[in-house]
Amino acid sequence: MMTLLGISPQLLFGQLLIGLINGVFYAMMSLGVAIIFGMLRIGNFVHGAQYMLGAFGAWYLLNLPDLFPSLGLPSLNYWWALVLVPFGVALIGALMERLFIRKVYELEHAYGLLLTVGLAMLIEGLFNVRYGAAGQQYNIPEALKGGVNLGFMFMPYYRLWVIVAGILVCVATWYAIERTRLGAYLRAATENPDLVRAFGINVPRMLMLTYAFGVGLAGLAGVMAAPIYQVSPQMGHSIIITIFAVVVIGGMGSISGAIYTGLMLGVIEGLTKVFWPQASTTVIFVIMVLVLIFRPAGLFGRETVAAHAADMSTARPDSILENGRLWMAILAIGGTIVPFFIYPVFGMKILCLALFACAYNLIFGYVGLLAFGHAAFYGSSAYVAAFTAASWGFPTELAILSGVAMATLLGAIFGWLAIRRQGLYFAMITLALAQLVYFYAIQASWTHGEDGIQSVPRGYVFGVINLNDPMAMYFFVLAVFLIGFGVIYRIVHSPFGQVLKSIRENEPRAISLGYSTDRFKLIAFTLSAMLAGLAGGTKAIVFQIASLADLYFQTSADALLMTLIGGVGTLLGPIVGAIIVVTIQTELATLGSWVIVVQGAAFVVCVLFLRKGVVGTLEDWLSARVERKRIAAGGGAPVVERSSH
Amino acid sequence: MSAGTLLKVRDLRGWYGESQALHDMAFEVGKGEVVTLLGRNGAGKTTTLRAIMGLLRKRSGEISFAGENLIDRMPEHIARRGIAYCPEERGIFASLTVEENLMLPPVVAEGGMALDDIYELFPNIAERRRSPGTKLSGGEQQMLAIGRILRTGATLLLLDEPTEGLAPVIVQQIGVVIRKLKERGFTVLLVEQNVRFAARLANRHYVVEHGQVIDRLEAADVAGSLDRIQNYLKV
Ligand SMILES: Nc1ncnc2c1ncn2[C@@H]1O[C@H](COP(=O)(O)OP(=O)(O)OP(=O)(O)O)[C@@H](O)[C@H]1O
Ligand SMILES: [Mg+2]
Repeated sequence: MMTLLGISPQLLFGQLLIGLINGVFYAMMSLGVAIIFGMLRIGNFVHGAQYMLGAFGAWYLLNLPDLFPSLGLPSLNYWWALVLVPFGVALIGALMERLFIRKVYELEHAYGLLLTVGLAMLIEGLFNVRYGAAGQQYNIPEALKGGVNLGFMFMPYYRLWVIVAGILVCVATWYAIERTRLGAYLRAATENPDLVRAFGINVPRMLMLTYAFGVGLAGLAGVMAAPIYQVSPQMGHSIIITIFAVVVIGGMGSISGAIYTGLMLGVIEGLTKVFWPQASTTVIFVIMVLVLIFRPAGLFGRETVAAHAADMSTARPDSILENGRLWMAILAIGGTIVPFFIYPVFGMKILCLALFACAYNLIFGYVGLLAFGHAAFYGSSAYVAAFTAASWGFPTELAILSGVAMATLLGAIFGWLAIRRQGLYFAMITLALAQLVYFYAIQASWTHGEDGIQSVPRGYVFGVINLNDPMAMYFFVLAVFLIGFGVIYRIVHSPFGQVLKSIRENEPRAISLGYSTDRFKLIAFTLSAMLAGLAGGTKAIVFQIASLADLYFQTSADALLMTLIGGVGTLLGPIVGAIIVVTIQTELATLGSWVIVVQGAAFVVCVLFLRKGVVGTLEDWLSARVERKRIAAGGGAPVVERSSH
Repeated sequence: MSAGTLLKVRDLRGWYGESQALHDMAFEVGKGEVVTLLGRNGAGKTTTLRAIMGLLRKRSGEISFAGENLIDRMPEHIARRGIAYCPEERGIFASLTVEENLMLPPVVAEGGMALDDIYELFPNIAERRRSPGTKLSGGEQQMLAIGRILRTGATLLLLDEPTEGLAPVIVQQIGVVIRKLKERGFTVLLVEQNVRFAARLANRHYVVEHGQVIDRLEAADVAGSLDRIQNYLKV
């Protein structure tokens, strides 16, 4: 048999075929994400969960008799699923738009992403509770079993069908959007929804239908994927981050671009599997990095969305809760007393995560950038600290500093790449870059894969204080936390912090004042990464382990959730958020998968009802109380104030 | 309300967030009339049109059109009652071809102009029907923006400064078009700063200042009061 560069044609074509199949799914999914993004300005993170719903929908229909034995229902096969499930999933999508997503159109874009992250966690968490990690088998439909020998390779009929049908669906979608009257409404409403409304078109309903359509595409992809991949609760989770990377690579505003990019990246991924198998999971993210460097608007992108930093801060600067000196003292005293009442381990967990959340708040709350990959800094620092302490015998403080250095370096690189793009793109890019680090850690040998780096010695600080004593360890962590907290307070209240504030409040104005806002944002981002690294490195020493969970997407989501619950941009919010989230995680630990469901629900509730967070709400209440007291004391309220109640 | 009144605005107030842009606007437009709103930059003319169209969310008062109060209606409902809007920035869609732009607004009532009639009115647009909307010149874009609301059967046209930034020849051409539209029975509410242009077309003028109507002139009085009006508009 002929070989090419020592590779058999069977292997080559086999992988190309697999790549093409993946590419079809990428294309169908990124098409949906791109349409929804273009029209609703929502980064639909729940798209992966909706794809999973499609696959489960097909599986349910097939197993109807087993699922509801008493109802005497027939088993509906693949072809029924192909027709019914996309409609069902689209209907669920329409409902989600109506109940949740519609509520955030008027808000900062970040909330849309947060909301869909919460919904994804909720849906995937529930399926995880019910079905666990195990996949369900879904057989290839009878009519498409077998295959044809093409001479150079064996082509299974089902795969051929997926490629043909998938591409046809993509082309039909392209045609409907680019060439029909309905598509013209859609394109016009993407540009100027108000004017389209003023022509008598019911744009709100169109938004709902567009969302339902994009989601239906994901459902269809799910049905088609069911016989190829395992039907499992996790199937949508890994694909969505890849899809976001595909959308970044393809660029905004081109329907055909999304299709080409999806197909092309699938094929490239397949080829990588042939020539350099280790790199196949990361190649898409590496391409994304290259595209960001050389063509920031994406391969087919027509526009760079002119979004600016978003002011999501809920702090009232004059509130007593924002007085850093006072709270530094309170936290120091409180932190000293606490270990005599609670387990030091529990306290240390809160301190590490609180510092992590404070670091995240620096970029999200004080600069207004929705970073979504802080797990990379937290986790990389944890790994480096653990490795240098365990394998090289670094003293504890040096191990942590090595971790911090690593996080800072990564932060500078990520920041440099991501700062070029704004708004939702910033979130997608940081998310994808963090995923790159995660995949690296799975494959590298020094990280020990699934096991992580275990039995990290706690060692001695400055060679004298033995950290194996729980109280000594606790006070060391408390000191680290207070230093980090103090540093952040200083940064925010320095002249540099004032510039950050003006960027957040009005970036165009800051630019016109002559500030190179990108540079300020990059420095803030790097500082935030550095402090997240401080939290991660310390955590590795405390718990004597660095594991993949530290690098996982969920850790980035935790940082976000803690900040959001506590109050974005407030001094104490991240700490309150950390206490709440750690308590929830600890209390629900015995319930296993329910933790994710509860956290997802917390996201949704926070975005819809508690956008100010606990501390932001408290600050409002306090200032209202001061106002009431003033009135009671005979001050009298200004007329404007009264009429606004 | 007299039988011939098509649009009657009373006590119209409007806000952008907390700041009030319209203070008790009041004016009337009779069926088949051309009526102008004159006023300086920032007087509130565009805001008035946006309020009528329902695009300004925060508004109160009375906007009665053909006897129905539209004050709490959504833009899509207001359009379906027969009001069409040509915005100041023209609002030509870049991702749509000229013809797609032209065909975009759905027909809301019978009696709209046929596509061929519109092309006859704007011959330059007919030639460019396949090109992207924003590849047209400023004048052509303005014609497209007007042409596109003639098909729908709307009876009241809101035109926001159709002559802004255009060469005198084109301004003249647009004047001819508006006169033809009047002959066809359209009612036009025209926002203008070009008094000479407006004076030749309109039955009545309202002068707007600080979100209020501060003066009203019938066509017959205009010739004698051009100075007075120019004075209002002087910056
Ligand atoms: N989107 C907006 N947000 C806040 N204020 C606005 C907005 N649009 C207009 N304004 C304010 O409302 C007032 C009226 O503006 P409007 O656009 O209606 O004026 P205009 O008469 O159309 O002016 P021009 O002749 O320049 O078009 C102005 O003071 C303007 O600054
Ligand atoms: Mg105006």
